[in-house]
Amino acid sequence: MKFRYLDTGAMPAALNMGIDEALLRAVSGRRSPPTLRLYRWEPSAVTIGYFQGMTEEVNLEACRRSGVDAVRRITGGGAVFHDAEITYSVVVPEGSPLAPHDILESYRLVCSGVIAGMTVLGIDAAFAPINDIVAQGRKISGNAQTRKLGCMLQHGTILLDVDVDRMFSLLLVPQEKLRGKLIDDVKERVTGLKSLLGLEIGYAETAAALKAGFSSAWSAELEPGELSMDELRTGNEIAAEKFGTDIWNLRR
Amino acid sequence: MILRHIEKIPAGKLLRIELDVEDGILLHTLVRGDFFAHPEEDFEAAEAELSGIPSNRIVELATRAFSRPGLSIIGATAADIATALGRAIDEIQVP
Repeated sequence: MKFRYLDTGAMPAALNMGIDEALLRAVSGRRSPPTLRLYRWEPSAVTIGYFQGMTEEVNLEACRRSGVDAVRRITGGGAVFHDAEITYSVVVPEGSPLAPHDILESYRLVCSGVIAGMTVLGIDAAFAPINDIVAQGRKISGNAQTRKLGCMLQHGTILLDVDVDRMFSLLLVPQEKLRGKLIDDVKERVTGLKSLLGLEIGYAETAAALKAGFSSAWSAELEPGELSMDELRTGNEIAAEKFGTDIWNLRR
Repeated sequence: MILRHIEKIPAGKLLRIELDVEDGILLHTLVRGDFFAHPEEDFEAAEAELSGIPSNRIVELATRAFSRPGLSIIGATAADIATALGRAIDEIQVP
């Protein structure tokens, strides 16, 4: 299968989510081919799952003070602090090889590309249902998928490094009295490529490994491309009218 | 009266229930959490269907609403959600 491959670099959260939705609309409207996109977040950002409550999950005042964006995704799943990491998104029509009807199977298929990318880096990783990827028993990647407009969109992050204390300075916890224990748990259960490899690894090097991994695991031809003018304009519109607004971000 | 209840589904996701109940009638039902539901709008339609119902019928009606054809929930079942909603109601009846 042929994919357009995009590396859009760093963007603010609302635009990152706007571009992902613009890709979904463009692929749905057959204006763009199936697409794999790699990107990151600047400034750092917190995203929450579609069904989460922003003021329940996120310390918005702390985000404001630290200059961290806070945005609701169109995909379900949990709250994520996007800092030292690389994010991918993939959009394909429903029914294509990566998007069978069975959603768990679809997660497994898409995640096989991330896992193959980890192999390129010398990391032995595995899919951990429902939507995680683990290495040495610790989570290194979270993934979230939605089906809309006859297409599947999945995005996910691969942690390069983790600062759990900083993360929890921005996130709220269900029971404040258990905060310390929860933070200790997360420090045990989550890790990044830097700790696994014992050396600093950057965005570009990880992007190259992921690209090779996606290509081999999906038997895909990745053709480097650019966002179309239509996608860029639509992405900016969606960022301004949806992901940049309290109406959307505070809606549940 | 706003009722809140949190429940972690074993091998599943976290459900954070918020109900508004007045005189035995549900005014609104919100099921927040880190689960997935496809299509997302159908899940919200199921929530909306539970407004105006007697709170003592919530388990039965929620089971039906969240089992609607075409809606798939990942990380919790319709029964899990209905049970959690029932527990949110039960918690207030214990003084």
